[in-house]
Amino acid sequence: MILKSIKIKNFRSYYGESIFELSEGLTLIIGGNGDGKTTFFEALEWLFNTSTEDIKESNISAKRKAELEICESDEVAVSIVFEHDGEKELEKSFTFERISKDNVRCKDFKFFGYENSGSERYSVKGSNLLEQSFDAVIRKYCLFKGESTLNVFDNTTALKTLVETFSGIKRFDDLVELSTDFEAKSQNAVNKEMLNDKKCRQKANDLNFRLTKVKDEIQTLKSDIKQQDEAINSYAAKLEILEHNQEASEQYQDIKNRIKGLSDKRAKMRNYTLVDYNAMLLDESWILRSFPKVLQEYQKKASALSKQKRKLKTQEDERRGEERGKQIAIEHIQKLANGAVELPWNLPDQETMQEMLDDHICKVCGREALEGSEAYEFMKNKLNEYLRHIQETTKKDEQKDEKPLFTNSYIDELHTRQIRMSGEDEQRIAGIATEVSHRLKFIQDRKIDLDKIEKELQEAEDEKSRLLIQSSDLTEEMLEKDFNDIKGYFDQKGRAEIRVAELTLQLKRKEDEKRELDEEFAGLEPENTSVKMYQRVHTALREIMKAFTNAKERNVTEFLTSLEKKANTYLGKLNENDFHGVIYLRRTAEGSARIELCSEDGTIIPNPSDSQKTTMYMSVLFAISEITTLKREQDYPLIFDAPTSNMGGFKENSFYNVIDKINKQCIIVTKDLLIEDKTTGESSLDNKQINQLTCSVYRISKAADYSQTGLSTIQTTTTKIK
Amino acid sequence: MATESLYEIWAKRNPEWEIRYENNIIKTFCDYNRGATSMREDRAKILGAGYEIFIVAFFIGLYYNQKKPLTTENRKRKSFGWAIQNWGNIESRGGRRPYPKLREYIFAALVARTDVDFIALDKGEITARKAVDMLMQTMEEYANFGFHFMEDKLIDNPGYFYASNAFLEVFLSFDASVSKSEDDEEPEALD
Repeated sequence: MILKSIKIKNFRSYYGESIFELSEGLTLIIGGNGDGKTTFFEALEWLFNTSTEDIKESNISAKRKAELEICESDEVAVSIVFEHDGEKELEKSFTFERISKDNVRCKDFKFFGYENSGSERYSVKGSNLLEQSFDAVIRKYCLFKGESTLNVFDNTTALKTLVETFSGIKRFDDLVELSTDFEAKSQNAVNKEMLNDKKCRQKANDLNFRLTKVKDEIQTLKSDIKQQDEAINSYAAKLEILEHNQEASEQYQDIKNRIKGLSDKRAKMRNYTLVDYNAMLLDESWILRSFPKVLQEYQKKASALSKQKRKLKTQEDERRGEERGKQIAIEHIQKLANGAVELPWNLPDQETMQEMLDDHICKVCGREALEGSEAYEFMKNKLNEYLRHIQETTKKDEQKDEKPLFTNSYIDELHTRQIRMSGEDEQRIAGIATEVSHRLKFIQDRKIDLDKIEKELQEAEDEKSRLLIQSSDLTEEMLEKDFNDIKGYFDQKGRAEIRVAELTLQLKRKEDEKRELDEEFAGLEPENTSVKMYQRVHTALREIMKAFTNAKERNVTEFLTSLEKKANTYLGKLNENDFHGVIYLRRTAEGSARIELCSEDGTIIPNPSDSQKTTMYMSVLFAISEITTLKREQDYPLIFDAPTSNMGGFKENSFYNVIDKINKQCIIVTKDLLIEDKTTGESSLDNKQINQLTCSVYRISKAADYSQTGLSTIQTTTTKIK
Repeated sequence: MATESLYEIWAKRNPEWEIRYENNIIKTFCDYNRGATSMREDRAKILGAGYEIFIVAFFIGLYYNQKKPLTTENRKRKSFGWAIQNWGNIESRGGRRPYPKLREYIFAALVARTDVDFIALDKGEITARKAVDMLMQTMEEYANFGFHFMEDKLIDNPGYFYASNAFLEVFLSFDASVSKSEDDEEPEALD
């Protein structure tokens, strides 16, 4: 099948009809980001999808849809014209009609093919024509979106499909099956006949029993070996990845340790900075920061009160002392004129004195004392003195019982408190301001530390992300594995290998045993001649079966070898003047194959670059395509969407030069060969490079007058450059 | 001689505060009236028992040296029903530590800032009860000013005191210098 043209109509950004005429070699469709490259590819995918009647409204050109008046309609269509046993056409389409301001109805899905017979053209079912000219298996090896889909061996059935489709091995399959069946049937027939043979019955029975047992054992051993093989492959794959990424792994461990250390430090700093200031005010007495002045006031006041109280008490004591002194003095002054000793103040007593005054006579000396006389006055004075004395004595007694000035001692309490609050307590209160400022400074410093740690932590996390992005085939989980895991894989792989060796030895023994039994069985000499004949037929059929089985195996090996050889030829071409290594296609335990890029001596090249990988996969694809062409006597196009986005500029140019010269229809949609004007941001074609190529070139781009926000203004325009 | 010290009489009292601060300040910042088993953290309260915000309010008034008389209407006043002698004793939950000594400093401040005639008190001319009444009045008026101050801040910005260091900042704004005045005397020894 050779594509001659592709027509895209009203499919997403392709407004109206766009026609691409394709050359038999390379056709380049060049466009920048958003210019419709992937839409081109997806239009083909849509055409080739036979699984659903896909009439998604999202596939309609927004611009065309916006233009439609109510009741107006148009169609979305993608079609190809191709050469495959004559010219044929395939078209998929549906109609869309505006039914209201906001709604569009999609209808009339059509998928038709057209074939020419002589001068007549008649239509056939689209899916039938597609399967007949470009079947699903072939398409699998023809359409590639981005470089990640290039590895066609990334699933276990890939090799089987490939071999079955392209190597002609399917015919062998039938033969192997048939001859195996014959062999089994003839074996049964021989067994049956043998059991009827008198001479050999006993022996044949015995051999049959043993053969069945050996066959069972062989089956079990084979399945065990397969299991162990799979394990070995799995460990080998893991080890390979880990070994290739040892550096990344070490770097990861380093970052991880750093992150852990920083996280611990951060937790510590957070503890320092998480302070409940409100609690500190009370619990740590921070609220007393400004208290020293108040305390001073208290101390002064308590001190002054104490002093004042004592002063008042002293004054009172002095006053009372004075009173008493006065009394003593008076007592001293009262003496008789002639110095004689006075009678005691109480003699004569008050009653006697009064009696003498009433009787006007001194009953002491017997002299008369008339009222107004000197003697009478003397007695009267004596009585008065007596009365005064009594009075004074009473007063003195009263004075002895006088209340103290201060009845309470609250001031003393305050003073005691003041004494207690001075010294250590006072110093502590005075130190709170400093303590608070030191603590706040400490917290502030830790906050700065914390910020720094947070920043370092973020950097480490970023570094980790970068590492993971760079090593795209590595997961964080794989990097988590440390050396012990690697050692573990080695040990497990080693054990599995030893086990395989043991099992293989056992298998060999069992197979030998089986062969011996077979031979012994074949060597039985029955009486009956017809049994002998069955025996010979079976031997012949067994040999035929072996031949077909071996041939099938060799066929696969030869297919891979030939594919490998062709792939290496392409690899050489695609990497002219550069190191490219050697492609090996290795069969895996599951029966598929793995593409490996190796050095000449067979050692795997660790971490091939992205451009090495791309050219490696493309070489295999070209090789497959070449084989396809040979086997089917038909050519098929290879269609790639942006396969080279990981290559460097220089590599791209030589890449297109090579593909241009390969005799193979290739359609590559790409943004290579565009030169971007750094000042305007606009892209233009690299005409110098393009002129060196002989291929067809189309430029696709957004029509100039689009709005940056309106999808309905987007339109892909197509220009044929050469 | 009196059997009870002035401090003891004072410590048995319950200061009063204006009910209008109950909802917007006391209940906002404390666990007041919510049951003793609830943890402060559960409700994101910034302080524990109700008296804690009273202490904070008191010190704000004290350092500003601003008193604000309480309303004379009895029905508009309330007390915590938790005598001063218990303040700061049981705050050991949620990582808090008891601070009983703070009470003595509050008492000292009240003595310093209240115009009680202590000579007359010791002479027995006025009763201890009367003196303590006066101390309590000072305490309540300082705290009342503190509450008023907080209310002002909250009117401007309802989240003002939710900044973890907002109260601390208030106290950092007060002068903390320790001046040795010239007429300062050495404390006298007791006889």
